[in-house]
Amino acid sequence: MSRVAVSRDELEELYAEYGDVIDGGTLERWPDLFVEPCRYRIVSKENYDRGLPLSLMLCESLGMLRDRALASRKLNVYAPRTWRHSITQIRGLVDGEGISAQANFAIFETLQDQPTQILCTGRYLDKLAWSPAGLRFREKTCVYDSTLIPGSIVFPL
Amino acid sequence: MTTDDRRLTWPAEGDSRAPYWIYTDEGLYRRELERIFEGPTWSYVALECEIPERGDYKRSAVGEKSVLLVRGEDGAVNGFLNRCAHRGAQLCLQDTGRATTLTCPYHQWTYDLQGKLLGLPFSRGVKGQGGMPPDFNLADHGLTPLRVNVRGGAIFATLDEATPPFETYLGPKILAFYDRVFGGRPLRLLGYSHQRLASNWKLMIENIRDTCHASLLHVFLVTFGLFRADQPSKVQMADDGLHAAVVSERGRQELTAETGQIQSFRPDLALEDPRLLDTVREFPGDATVVMHTIWPNLILQQQSNTLATRRIVPRGPSAFDLHWTFFGYADDDEEMTRRRLRQANLMGPGGLVSIDDGEIVNRVQAGVSTGVDGAGVVEMGGRDYADADHMVTDVALRAFYRGYRKVMGL
Repeated sequence: MSRVAVSRDELEELYAEYGDVIDGGTLERWPDLFVEPCRYRIVSKENYDRGLPLSLMLCESLGMLRDRALASRKLNVYAPRTWRHSITQIRGLVDGEGISAQANFAIFETLQDQPTQILCTGRYLDKLAWSPAGLRFREKTCVYDSTLIPGSIVFPL
Repeated sequence: MTTDDRRLTWPAEGDSRAPYWIYTDEGLYRRELERIFEGPTWSYVALECEIPERGDYKRSAVGEKSVLLVRGEDGAVNGFLNRCAHRGAQLCLQDTGRATTLTCPYHQWTYDLQGKLLGLPFSRGVKGQGGMPPDFNLADHGLTPLRVNVRGGAIFATLDEATPPFETYLGPKILAFYDRVFGGRPLRLLGYSHQRLASNWKLMIENIRDTCHASLLHVFLVTFGLFRADQPSKVQMADDGLHAAVVSERGRQELTAETGQIQSFRPDLALEDPRLLDTVREFPGDATVVMHTIWPNLILQQQSNTLATRRIVPRGPSAFDLHWTFFGYADDDEEMTRRRLRQANLMGPGGLVSIDDGEIVNRVQAGVSTGVDGAGVVEMGGRDYADADHMVTDVALRAFYRGYRKVMGL
């Protein structure tokens, strides 16, 4: 029988790893934190609250995650920047549906010649699963608060 | 001639130059707000499907001015400045909602859905003291109305009595493209994205009309044949040059003499999950992409099956807000809706294609902001203004600046 229990340390570790993979410039490892079948989306609080289906990013398979990672790393053209995730208020819940988790995020963006700005804040609403490699995301929904994004979102949140 | 006049003299080369001061000058920007956004133009403000029921309202903008679109008791769309007729407070802070009346919280002036002032507290005073003068007439103090035009599910508004009828304004050529997307099929709202870019608003419109850049900047468009110089394409413009449609047919990911010249073409690149580009033809004719710029504030996007309005709100000479409204048609089946939502990955503030555009307009602004001494060169394809049957041309930029100079008296 597959494991459903999860400890606070294991949750903390997963979210720390998630932020590090993006902030550390190793986006090629980002899809490794998901299990197939998976779903990743970034959605504004506005669309989420109103039940509007549009995502700012939508990946419906590991393949789409890898396509997005490749585009972010090599294909898109954008000014150099540093991102720093701050992920707090992590809470896990295990029930008949499996493991779910929620957390707050704030992402600080630093561009050349400009003071560091808050790119966005929001909430992760996630479903997790154990894989042979460890705790992974089955579904990750990043609901961002901003009503106006400063510039563009060039990496996954 | 004052120093300022000299500074704002268009280069002798004419419309094949775009002087950098048009992106930075504060006085010119004020003049743009008056002559363009608050002048005889139709600003795109909303889709009808955003306010389907009586009392539904949406906050939008004409130029920098906040406006409200309200579905009235009679089912028609009314537009007003979002400003209480009493002391000027913004009447409505929510982007959307439903109401039976509109009340300003400051002194509770209350308006009906047609913008008529219904009443206000203490108008006859309290205990015989105070109150409005006897000749105060409610009918003189309604919300400031806008003229509103609805066609094919899209709503436009103007502050100017002199704005010509919408159909005349667009002209037959651009109207035909407009009707291709907004042909009367009821629309379905899919959702919004909003971003603020650190660039002059005109650079965003230029970006769409700059047909050349797409084959150079965007690996995604180029590699997967969504918009590329070797594909059958055309540039169509209104007589005054201010509205345009850029049209193309999807090409293949195939190494040829032409694609071989394009550095951003990547014959080896394959999507691991090709569902992103599982496009279907849904409009008559051969075009698979039509990017419209409707003067002054609308970019209407039909790229494969992703449809969106991009509404520009200028915020000073070096910033603008871009409001994306993605939509489909009410009779789309589930598969089509899924397809539109998937292809929306190409566009928006995190779009595989439009990240590049948002970044590049900021980069141009950063470059031109360093001085008023330079000018952009827009000579690709010659120096004329005629519609083109290819995309290796700056003609849509020249025509834009010819029209712009006329409106602005430059």
